[in-house]
Amino acid sequence: MAAQGIWNGTISFSLVAIPVRLVTAVMPGHVSFHLLHSKDYSRLARKMFCPVEERAVAPDEIIRGYEILPGKYITMTDEELESVSPERSRTIEIIEFIDMKDVDPIYFDHPYYLVPAKGGEKAYQLLVEVMGRTNKAGLAKFILAEREYLVAVTSKDGALALTTLHYSEEILPDGDLLPKKVSADPAEEARMEKSIKDMVADFDPGKYADGRRKKIRDLLDAKVKEHALVEAPAMAEKEEEGPADLVAALEESMRKVKESR
Amino acid sequence: MAGATIWKVIIHFGDTDVPVKLHSAVKEERIQFHLLHEPDQVRVRQQLICALDKQPVPAEEQFKGFEVGEGKYILLDPEELEQTVPESDRKIEVHEFVKTTQIDPHFLDRVYYLEPDVQAKGYAPLAAALNELDVSGICTWTMRKRSYFGALQASGKVLRLNTLRYADEVVSARSLDLQKVPLTEKELTIGSELIEKLTAPFEPRKFENEHQKKLQEMIDKKARGENIVVMAPRRLKPTEPDNLLQVLEASLKKAA
Amino acid sequence: MSRTYVDIDGRSLPLSNLEKDLYPSYGFTKAAILEYYRRIAPFILPHLHDRALTLKRYPEGVEKEFFFEKRCPAHRPAWVRTAEVVHHDTEPMTMCVVYDLETLLWAVNLASLELHVPLARTDSPGTPDSLVFDLDPGDGAGIPECARVALILRDLLSPMGLVSYVKTSGQKGLHVLVPLNNKETTFEDTKTFSRAVAGIMQRHYPDLVTARMAKTERQAKVFINWSQNDPSKTMISVYSLRGRDRPFVSFPLEWKELEDLDGHSDPERLQVVHSEAVRRAEEKGDLFRDVLVKKQKLPHL
Repeated sequence: MAAQGIWNGTISFSLVAIPVRLVTAVMPGHVSFHLLHSKDYSRLARKMFCPVEERAVAPDEIIRGYEILPGKYITMTDEELESVSPERSRTIEIIEFIDMKDVDPIYFDHPYYLVPAKGGEKAYQLLVEVMGRTNKAGLAKFILAEREYLVAVTSKDGALALTTLHYSEEILPDGDLLPKKVSADPAEEARMEKSIKDMVADFDPGKYADGRRKKIRDLLDAKVKEHALVEAPAMAEKEEEGPADLVAALEESMRKVKESR
Repeated sequence: MAGATIWKVIIHFGDTDVPVKLHSAVKEERIQFHLLHEPDQVRVRQQLICALDKQPVPAEEQFKGFEVGEGKYILLDPEELEQTVPESDRKIEVHEFVKTTQIDPHFLDRVYYLEPDVQAKGYAPLAAALNELDVSGICTWTMRKRSYFGALQASGKVLRLNTLRYADEVVSARSLDLQKVPLTEKELTIGSELIEKLTAPFEPRKFENEHQKKLQEMIDKKARGENIVVMAPRRLKPTEPDNLLQVLEASLKKAA
Repeated sequence: MSRTYVDIDGRSLPLSNLEKDLYPSYGFTKAAILEYYRRIAPFILPHLHDRALTLKRYPEGVEKEFFFEKRCPAHRPAWVRTAEVVHHDTEPMTMCVVYDLETLLWAVNLASLELHVPLARTDSPGTPDSLVFDLDPGDGAGIPECARVALILRDLLSPMGLVSYVKTSGQKGLHVLVPLNNKETTFEDTKTFSRAVAGIMQRHYPDLVTARMAKTERQAKVFINWSQNDPSKTMISVYSLRGRDRPFVSFPLEWKELEDLDGHSDPERLQVVHSEAVRRAEEKGDLFRDVLVKKQKLPHL
């Protein structure tokens, strides 16, 4: 299974530097649909639309702007954004190691895996094994998509997992949720414990599936059997490339290029 | 203070019913940027554009189609889809309890705080029991037209509800196809010593979002018309596999 | 700070810090850099005439911070010519325009190792003189892959009646330029055309070419950055130095050099260092002269 590369750079601890790629640890499971235009069943795409020029604009015509006054923007290029924290945009520097037992799971945000890039396999494996032996995790700062995260790097099933953490100030306090005075009720606690013990089992997440997904799949299967398909107009894809005449001329020229090579 | 009440529901298992209110447990803050069309700096917004006439399409003209082949779709109309939506039923059904340590952290998705609603006599004993036995309640519920699977846990005296990812959504480390590389016992020993030397207690309050501050400074500088200095990202030279032991030993010396 | 005065055409130009080494790992002082630009002046000046200059300054050398400067520095000699340029969000900005040796050396003396210019001239900012294909290799690709793409581009455009010219960017890639030099072609035209070409290239050579900027799409491929065909964009001028570890130059290449690259994958083979740039230019002249004068029209628009 090809892992999608989200970021690449180096992870380091003290003087050891390991080239790595960040890949996804979570695959969305929902059934994905396309949106179609009711008129002619042509595909709808989510695009950024310029209301002045009344057309969809390509990602490279788009720049990020920070609104400093209503309607007045300061724009930032990718290069400028990458240079805000240049020491961290391509490097994950482990500042210290911690005991994961000390980390309240409420701090966990999003999980990823790190895989070694060429040449880094040995140092990668070393970090995995020694963190496993010592039962520790590495704490680092990391910048991804213009956000700075505090991350925990852990040894998990022979690989390095990277989990972004929330900052302390992002965790809301829970102190005011409980009534001030709650008297303990030992009998009730004992009863509760017994109820629970009767229901203890091993964790088997495979038992649980998203009911809605199954219903949608069943519905789709039924429709396929009825041969209830619609077709989108074929020309949709080509329009993207440019004026029809030009595209045709380029295709003709390309044909010649390929013939002569 | 915790976020506003999102939803009211009843935790149920066996003879036990505990009415609770859900609250957000995490609040994220970030500098908001808008996306602009570069030449004229007009704000662009995401719209659903028809591939054929290249214009935005209103909601009533949007149909959902499942692709079965090149350009071929099965149309699902809104009524049919509505029928697949689960009924919201104000109940968190706990099916079993498992040792909390058995739950792989990669399954954890969002977390909510639970506040006891009126007449929630079972709340405190439940929290106490979960703590005492070190278990989590595996449960399912439906909220706002979506089915959820989660873990009910205690943190001190407060109950939390964690939504979990489904088994087929979690990528296993095995699928990464990592090669095993032989390491010497010396490398492993020195490496372990180094880690122990660099170990510190977890103090999350030490860490601030510095990037946010620097980004704001850069925006302010640009707003004043000052030149900003663009620095290339720092790239570290990877450690050569043959040098690993030496580098570990040098690191250990440095850490001492 | 040491200062020397140099007399050019009756104008006195102050030069400073001549012994400062701005390329520390290679060894190239300000004096040597100024000497390079003095000797390359006959070749670079025609490409800087009538173009708003963006300076890229490395005051402490290539290993330290750099910054772009569009506004012509206020403390300039009276003879430095300027132009008022309108940039999208603000009032008109005064930018430097280089017409002569002394202005060139004055700019370089400010440690502007790199000189960046737009595709259009100051008197007609909406009509570019040429169309550019900026070939930018992603991680895992390099100049040899760019050379392949450049050759395919040349062969694709030639049956359509378009002659193209190639230069190194001096960094990681190549620039292919198609001269136009006519009053009617706008940036809208060049952008549409280059975008269509990039799309066709990607479709027929998907493992080699991408037309999309997203970094995840660029692994081991050459990105044809067609969006450089824009009035607000600038590119490194031909014959300019680059601010990287070695003083490579954005230098015109003969197509034969790319053809001969087949099989030799040494990425530095096509790169031209300052001394070689001077030698080759003095021997063969300005290979990019036609980019300034050849008139061509984009077909099918």
